Amino acid sequence: MLSFLLRTGWKKLWTLFFISVISFAVIHLAPGEPSQIDPMNPRFTPQQLERYRKAFDLDQPLHIQYLRFYRRLFTGELRSFKDNQPVLPKIVERVWNSLWLFLAGTILVWCAAFPLGITTAIRRNSVLDKVTTVVVFALISIPGFYLAYLLIIFVVQTFHVDVIGLRTFGHQGRNLVWSFMDRTWHLVLPSVLGATAGIAILSRYVRAQMLEVITSDYVRTARAKGLDEDTVLYKHALRNGLLPFVTMLGLIVPGLVGGSVIIETIFAWPGIGRLGYEAILSRDYPIVITLNFVAALLTLVGTLLSDLLYMVVDPRIRLEGVE
Amino acid sequence: MMACALFFVVALFGLLVTKGDQPVLDPRQVRLADKFRPPLSLPNRQAVPIDALPRLGVYVLGTDELGRDVFARMLEGAFVSLSVGFVAVGIAVAIGIIFGGIAGYYGRVRILRLMSVDTLITGLIDVALSFPAFFLILTVVAILRPSIWNIMVVIGLTSWEGTARFVRAEILALREQDFVQAARALGVSGPRVILRHLLPNAVAPVLVSATLGIAGAILTESALSFLGFGVPPPDATWGNVLSDGKNYLFDAWWLTIIPGTAILVIVLAFNLFGEGLREAFNPRLRQL
Amino acid sequence: MRVKRILILAPTLVGLFLLQSYFWVPTFEDQVKGDPGRLTRYIETSIGDASILNPTLAADSASAAINNLVFEGLIDRDLDLSFRGRLAEAWEIFEEAYLTVDETQRLPDGAPVTADGLLRYLERARAAGEPVLKLVRRVELLPGRSSVEQIEVTEPGPEGRKPVKRQVEVTVRQPPRIKFTLREVDQDFFAKIDRLLGGYVDRIDPSRFVKAADPIITRERAAELVPPTEHNPVVLFRLRKGILFHDGHEFDSGDVKFTYEAIMAPENLSPRIPDFEPVKAVEPLGRYAVKITYKRLFEPGFGSWTMGVLPEHLLNRDALRAEAIRAGRDPKDFSLRHSQFNRSPIGSGPFQFDAWKTDQFIRLTRFDRYWEGAPNLREYLFRIIPDLLTAEVTFYAGTSDAYGAQPHQVERLRHDPRFQSFSRLGLGYTYIGYNMRRPIFQDVRVRKALGMAINVQEIIDYVLYGQAERTTGPYPKQTEFYDPTVEPLPYDPEGALTLLADAGWRRNAEGWLEKNGQPLAFTLITNSGNDVRKAVMVVAQNAWRRLGIKVETLTMEWAVFINERVDKGDFDALILGWSMGLDADLYQIFHSSQTGHFQLNFVGYANPAADALMVRIRQEYNRERQVAMARRLHRLIAVDQPYTFLFVGKGLTLLDRKLVRMVEGADGTPLYLTIVPDKLGGITFHFNQWVKTAEPVLTTN
Repeated sequence: MLSFLLRTGWKKLWTLFFISVISFAVIHLAPGEPSQIDPMNPRFTPQQLERYRKAFDLDQPLHIQYLRFYRRLFTGELRSFKDNQPVLPKIVERVWNSLWLFLAGTILVWCAAFPLGITTAIRRNSVLDKVTTVVVFALISIPGFYLAYLLIIFVVQTFHVDVIGLRTFGHQGRNLVWSFMDRTWHLVLPSVLGATAGIAILSRYVRAQMLEVITSDYVRTARAKGLDEDTVLYKHALRNGLLPFVTMLGLIVPGLVGGSVIIETIFAWPGIGRLGYEAILSRDYPIVITLNFVAALLTLVGTLLSDLLYMVVDPRIRLEGVE
Repeated sequence: MMACALFFVVALFGLLVTKGDQPVLDPRQVRLADKFRPPLSLPNRQAVPIDALPRLGVYVLGTDELGRDVFARMLEGAFVSLSVGFVAVGIAVAIGIIFGGIAGYYGRVRILRLMSVDTLITGLIDVALSFPAFFLILTVVAILRPSIWNIMVVIGLTSWEGTARFVRAEILALREQDFVQAARALGVSGPRVILRHLLPNAVAPVLVSATLGIAGAILTESALSFLGFGVPPPDATWGNVLSDGKNYLFDAWWLTIIPGTAILVIVLAFNLFGEGLREAFNPRLRQL
Repeated sequence: MRVKRILILAPTLVGLFLLQSYFWVPTFEDQVKGDPGRLTRYIETSIGDASILNPTLAADSASAAINNLVFEGLIDRDLDLSFRGRLAEAWEIFEEAYLTVDETQRLPDGAPVTADGLLRYLERARAAGEPVLKLVRRVELLPGRSSVEQIEVTEPGPEGRKPVKRQVEVTVRQPPRIKFTLREVDQDFFAKIDRLLGGYVDRIDPSRFVKAADPIITRERAAELVPPTEHNPVVLFRLRKGILFHDGHEFDSGDVKFTYEAIMAPENLSPRIPDFEPVKAVEPLGRYAVKITYKRLFEPGFGSWTMGVLPEHLLNRDALRAEAIRAGRDPKDFSLRHSQFNRSPIGSGPFQFDAWKTDQFIRLTRFDRYWEGAPNLREYLFRIIPDLLTAEVTFYAGTSDAYGAQPHQVERLRHDPRFQSFSRLGLGYTYIGYNMRRPIFQDVRVRKALGMAINVQEIIDYVLYGQAERTTGPYPKQTEFYDPTVEPLPYDPEGALTLLADAGWRRNAEGWLEKNGQPLAFTLITNSGNDVRKAVMVVAQNAWRRLGIKVETLTMEWAVFINERVDKGDFDALILGWSMGLDADLYQIFHSSQTGHFQLNFVGYANPAADALMVRIRQEYNRERQVAMARRLHRLIAVDQPYTFLFVGKGLTLLDRKLVRMVEGADGTPLYLTIVPDKLGGITFHFNQWVKTAEPVLTTN
């Protein structure tokens, strides 16, 4: 167990390093010299470039730039171009809001993908399977914002209720329970939308894994031994098919983080996706570059958690320590 | 699969029919008198000058906020959307093959005695997988000049991981096979071995991930258009038409529903095609 | 089987939990039933967040919306657009005029000019009934003085290099001056005095009073140092007593002076500096009166006093220094812009600041001790929703109370029984501007023909869904300055061709217009992201193409458009719009001195008659005279066609039908009245009376 932990931790550290390098490297996409500025590119005027160069120490050698950038970031010296406030605290307060979306989305994916995948695997080629397949694929194929608008309009026109923002406006001072439920309701639609892609992909994966396991030898043995169907499926087949799911779960986190840009803009949700989008619109480059780093960091944490979960679930690793 | 083939035909046809200064169906013709006409409506012959009337005599899919024929725009956009998908995926696949090939074949070679090539590249793949691509794409598109090429390249650069993993897995599996040993014994150089002997066997999963990649690229492009960073005018893509239309949702629903459904159908077709390929290539499932 | 049961139970439970939360949330109808508190809240949506809640520093409309409720100015505009006193109870406008005593000259009766002699001459003239002197309330003599000063001069650099600045020493011998306090402002006062004194004023030569070793000091420069005559308009405000800021501190004249100083302080980088630059001094006269003296005649300056007044006790130098120290920052670097006040303001307006969650909302609550009486609404919520479609949906769902309809939605929403709608004409206009430095545009016939070729009515009908009106000139149609008798250019392509032929442009073999072998061709540019301008561009291009003019079009991002093309005068023709104010001053847009880079007369219009009118207009304090001159200017510009004036947009604001005004009737019972728009179509004049009722029973207004 410990060695697995160490190995994973070591890999994650390397990944962190590479992430920091890539986030930093993006800075250099901007023209280096004023003479290199593409006059047809409205996003970089000479004044902008000056500001940019100062903020990122582009006159220094590369490794100094790198170190300076991250030091400035963490000491709060790096300030937003828009309102001159330090970048990191701004981002951290928005991360909290987005975290709820990601959490709810992950929970939804977890809860929905399994039953869906297992049921369609068991009842392969049935009507249910075919219908689910088409629906699931449709959900992966539909443009996210299109689905979002359709849902919003449907819910608002039918139920005459508010779905935008963190909570209902114009109502304060109600009790805590009410407040909690209000926030939960406002969490529903955006997190469902964020989870659709994950549910779709993961349930297909569950299905594929289950199918593979079902036809394997040891399951046939278990059946031959006379164990009942349920035990065969859920105890043996599922347990072994579980492992790859956990890793896959780690891989839907980048999708959630990336998708948050559109979902948060549509739902007026004050999270990091919307912060990033608005920072780009207002050419607030310190925030944009830092956000890349923070988003990747969040994903890293997500995959780390899924690796830990993997560790819990995989008996081989657990037993490793014993041996 | 049929849908994909049909789509190619439609895209090419669309290209032919809408290109040039006097095209058969003109996507650029502005008819201010006939804005927001619903699908299958007749043009207002008094207000619209004769040379601006729709060729088919009717607005097949309606008109948009400037009176342009939606059908013509969709046809024009088909080609552009498709090319965005293909080029982006082409880039992704090329990078994936290179990385995957190197990792698979030269995997055990150690660099600077620190780590093997394989570890390095798988590490890179892990990093690329955990980087939220959309943020990166957005940043890049925001810094660089808005152009169709920048978008294609950036999407390509952020989606090569899947291909790389498949290629690497295939090569690892096949590396020790006899025919590979034979080729090596004959003195065939490494890259040639990869290209001529190993890769053709890896075609299957690459094709699957490429098909799925095209679907993803089209979706990413439409998301970028929604945010305002998509392919700049005058090129029309379905993403552009959809995001232009969303402002008029309550008044001209066809401007949103039509491109949205079109994207849905095409992406769905590609996805199903890819899934079909995957099932076809997977021997175990075929038995059941 | 446990795992199976968990797998089935978990999603069902989660799903049920999420769905049941729907039942806790109020619907549109519930607004009225469930929470009576909702009726006292007004919610407005905005696409962008506010940036600075300080009226002296903010430049965006979101901040302005909040600042207008939290702060109040000395004056504002009434329903019919005349000025109305707010923090000021009353005001008086008059003038202090100064005349130099030039002892080298002689009076008309032959006597040499002395200070006393001049005074006696004028007194005799007044006694004799001289009309111009009836304006004079008081006359004083100010002694002369001498001084040695260092002034900065700029010379052109060697061989086309950058201009060089130098310090030059001058001796200034300021002669005595006569100070006239006039009853009202008269820009022709000195012209009349000049006639009275037989040309005396005209002959005053300021260079006689300025001695400099360096010959670079010209007569103009000398006139700046020793002006022969000087107009100093004065506004005397009498302030209301007992007005409180939101923290309980009383408002007085010191706050007015402080607000002015805060705007003019260079370290604050206020965008309002140009509005207040003509102010010479702001002098409190006791706690409840303030005297504002201007350096020169500038009538539009009066309207700037709608500016919200800042609380001096919270933002003066000591307060800022204390704040800087508390925040651990260097007081020398800490200006008004850095203060936390801008995120948590205290003003004297009807609503006070409560909370601001960035990118989410800003909440204001009613100020109970507001001098005119507390507003009816208890809370004002400014909600930030960046997506237009979502904002629309929010309005339909009842969680916002106002919505600005887009032109294509007007027909559908105007008659919707759920809402009440108010149509208003905008204060700006859209135009096509021609760069008059380009040879092809220098002939007025060409400009007129280009305008006649475009069917503006068609643009209004089809691009704007009828939500616009034609405009013929540079003033807002709702003001008196706009001359409604000026006819718009007719839509007449044939006539346009004739005009062009008169100007020498004939059709060549390919059908394009050409003169002396040169084709009539140019590029029309505008900014991207504006559908209406895009449509106008297309229409114009088509219309001109049919005449035989080859027009290329180009759109570019706003920043590039303004910085690279407009500000540098690097364009042929462009489509742009102006957002106008309510004053008559067109100097910056059309005066020939404003044609340099980064100035607003980028089309290069230069008409001496118009120039003279513009100068007189901005110096005229008499309303009728100003209106007459403005109308003449309107006609003059319409004839010259430096722009093709296109249209003014209309907007439709939708409100929840439950919003009405409530006032107290004679017997104390509440009376409900409908919301009335002002002359501009704005509906917020009676905002403090607004209330949201379940079932309004309306009395006729």
